[in-house]
Amino acid sequence: MTHVSIKELTKVYPGATEPSLDRLSLEIPTGELTALLGPSGCGKTTTMKMIAGLLEPTSGDVTFDGRSVLRDKPEHRGVVMVFQNYLLFPYMSVADNVGFGLKMRKIDPAEIKRRVGEMLEMVKLPDLGDRKPSALSGGQQQRVALARALIVQPNVLLLDEPLSNLDAHLRFEMRDLIRSLQQDMGITTIFVTHDQEEAVVLADRVALILDGKMKQYDAPDAFYKRPVDEATARFFGGHNFIEGSATGTRYEGAIGTLQLPEGVPQGPGKLTFRPENLALGADPSTPNTLTATIKDKIYLGTQTRLKLSVGSQIIDIITNPNQVETATPGQTLTVTLPPEALWMLNS
Amino acid sequence: MHQEPVLTRSFRVLTGIVLITWLILPLIPLAIWSFAKGWFFPDILPKTWSLRAWEYAFSDTSGVIDSLWLTIGISLAATVLSILVGVPAGRALGMYKFRGKEAVELMILAPTIVPGIAVVLGIHSVFISMGLNNTVFGVILVHLIPTLPYMVLVMAGIFANYDPAFEAQARSLGASAFKTFWYVTLPAIMPGIIVGGLFAFLVSWSQYILTLLIGGGRVVTLPLLLFNFATSGRNDITGAIGMIYILPGIIILILTAKHLSGRSGAVGGFGQI
Amino acid sequence: MKIFLLLLPAMSIIVLLFFGGLLIGLMRSFNYMPVIGLTDPDFSAYVAVFTDREFYLSFMLTFHIAFTSTVISSILAIGAALLLRRSFAGRAIVNFLFQLNLTVPHLVGAIGMLYLFSQSGSFARLAAEWGMITKPSDFPALVFDPYAIGIILQYVWKEIPFIGVIILANMQSIGEDYESVARSLGASKWQTFRYVLLPLIFPGVLSASVMVFAFTFGAYEIPAILGANFPAALPVLAYRKYTDVDLAARPEAMAMAIVIAILSAVMIYFYVRYSRRRVRG
Repeated sequence: MTHVSIKELTKVYPGATEPSLDRLSLEIPTGELTALLGPSGCGKTTTMKMIAGLLEPTSGDVTFDGRSVLRDKPEHRGVVMVFQNYLLFPYMSVADNVGFGLKMRKIDPAEIKRRVGEMLEMVKLPDLGDRKPSALSGGQQQRVALARALIVQPNVLLLDEPLSNLDAHLRFEMRDLIRSLQQDMGITTIFVTHDQEEAVVLADRVALILDGKMKQYDAPDAFYKRPVDEATARFFGGHNFIEGSATGTRYEGAIGTLQLPEGVPQGPGKLTFRPENLALGADPSTPNTLTATIKDKIYLGTQTRLKLSVGSQIIDIITNPNQVETATPGQTLTVTLPPEALWMLNS
Repeated sequence: MHQEPVLTRSFRVLTGIVLITWLILPLIPLAIWSFAKGWFFPDILPKTWSLRAWEYAFSDTSGVIDSLWLTIGISLAATVLSILVGVPAGRALGMYKFRGKEAVELMILAPTIVPGIAVVLGIHSVFISMGLNNTVFGVILVHLIPTLPYMVLVMAGIFANYDPAFEAQARSLGASAFKTFWYVTLPAIMPGIIVGGLFAFLVSWSQYILTLLIGGGRVVTLPLLLFNFATSGRNDITGAIGMIYILPGIIILILTAKHLSGRSGAVGGFGQI
Repeated sequence: MKIFLLLLPAMSIIVLLFFGGLLIGLMRSFNYMPVIGLTDPDFSAYVAVFTDREFYLSFMLTFHIAFTSTVISSILAIGAALLLRRSFAGRAIVNFLFQLNLTVPHLVGAIGMLYLFSQSGSFARLAAEWGMITKPSDFPALVFDPYAIGIILQYVWKEIPFIGVIILANMQSIGEDYESVARSLGASKWQTFRYVLLPLIFPGVLSASVMVFAFTFGAYEIPAILGANFPAALPVLAYRKYTDVDLAARPEAMAMAIVIAILSAVMIYFYVRYSRRRVRG
């Protein structure tokens, strides 16, 4: 039960001219699962290590429930970090690994044994206590690492790329396990990842960090619907950026005049929309229809991607392959851009 | 990590200074002696300084220079032979799996751990009948016992990270077997040959008991000369020879400092110096 | 076949010289050498060696030298590695000096120790300067002494960097993350060292120690320079027996060489068991 707040946290490594992390501020409410998302080298692991006390910030503060923890030693912060490569101690059995934190607290061995048993039960590995970590699969190792972290009942749990080393079919299983354990125990959890999909499926809220600075801190869907700028939209796979300007809910620009949703940023900028949110054909309920010429058609198996030219602009659209089976480059067609699929980015 | 308290940091610096002092301490009296002209108890430093020991060491009569060339020659020969024989063996161990590989590895490892005295007595009694005792060639041969295994171990490490597909690519582009070796294999393994070779040189350079027994007092390498002067109480000349004797090692260290990770099999060679 | 040809030259040299030398030594230690007419092997050399008080004293002394040197060097080397693994101003220079004496032959180190610790050596002179002693013989015997202090000092001097460099590389490849995990799970600095770092570097320490033990047990020139005359270290005793004017002592020398070889074989067993098979790179 810990509210974590990060204030103007900055890290400049000795000898570096650019900060690795530049005045990051974040509020992470008690019990929430937050993702720090960004490309590698953007400062997210640095942030985690500073929260855990494994690295000293250059400036800024980290507080738990309003109290600064910067002077607390790592072993007294109640923050446990689970590394991407799990780092199970190779010379210890699984049970000894899980019980490590309790042993360090000099808890009675019988009690440790009991709680290790419970914990292994919770991560669904009840019979593997006597094995060595090297005898486990990657997914099993990750569960052991998770059990080892949770057994000490941390205030804050830090996870480094928790799903990235797992095969696709294991990812959802692990996602469910992490979410259910985290929610049952109510542990404030922060994880870092470079993979937007991982952030979106696991987190309550996502903080996107680019070039050491925080771009946007929001619920996962906001990054698709209401990105703050082009870099953010591009990070989440956005393709379409078209010059123009917004006045109220009216867009005017390189692809004509369109109706925008309520609350879009005003003034000149770029119109953006996701390729998968457009529809082929005209829709009488909205005036947002365009006539376009097919420039290229790319078959992707479960989807087909079309490159369309609208005037001098190229837009990308993703459709169901059956819908455009007969379409060929050079053909003209009508597309609908529902207002709720549109967003403006200020330049 | 956490900001270290001043006390911890001072302790660190202090132990660092003690460590470094201790590590260079034994070389200091040796260096001073080489420039001393009589240095009697209880003088902390010599009353008079002189270059006499160095002049003697470099004179024709002392035999130091002859011994220096002889030692260089023996160590170079042992190194070249180790390279010629060790590179193919390293390739076999680094690139292939085969039956009995463990046994072969063990046989190559054994001479790096078993001390020379344990084998040289037996060799001596056989070399007598072969006329190899008291010859430079005999000495070079026994020096291969400690030098060759390191060369093989270093090259096995190099070949384990070597992709033979480059050779196949060169052959498919029309290179002959020799040209493939010369233009593809050799440049790739050169760093290993250099580091392994320098180690082999140093290991041979520091051999004492093997040279003493097989050389039978006729093949006087620098360490033998140094030992003789040290035990006959000529401290000033001992100092000068000692300084000459450690020079190649220091040069080699400067040349290879950046390759010297303890992960290399070569570092084990330091255990024999 | 190709592998066989690649290995042939190296293996011939090692088998003929190294194992041949061992085998001949073994045969001669049993007084068995058909080519020179000795066809009836016997145990007389071993009987002579094992009933000789000097051998026992020598063996005990040599074991003491090797064991004490190895333990002290290993402990101090771990400390040195812990010190050098942190980055600090001038670490490159300290590292260089640390490696410097790796290249200095043991013989030179032994002579340096002689000049430092003998009764008229540098430390005795300093003691005299500070009025602690008046004549050389007042200074405690640290070389040629029955406890082999000078020899052990020399080995410690030489082996700290040797073991240290191996441990340092070991630590670098392990990284600091395991320790971070332990700290975040609630281990103190000491607990982290005791329960995490030490077990992780233990195999490396052990394989380096084993090499040091075998070397210090079998080295000749260091005890020859710094050791007492009686009892002498085993390799010195073996050399003396071998070069004795009485050729009958040679089998005894061979028997001692075999004792050293057997001890080394035990060391090889430990090395192979605990080293992570360096051979494969």
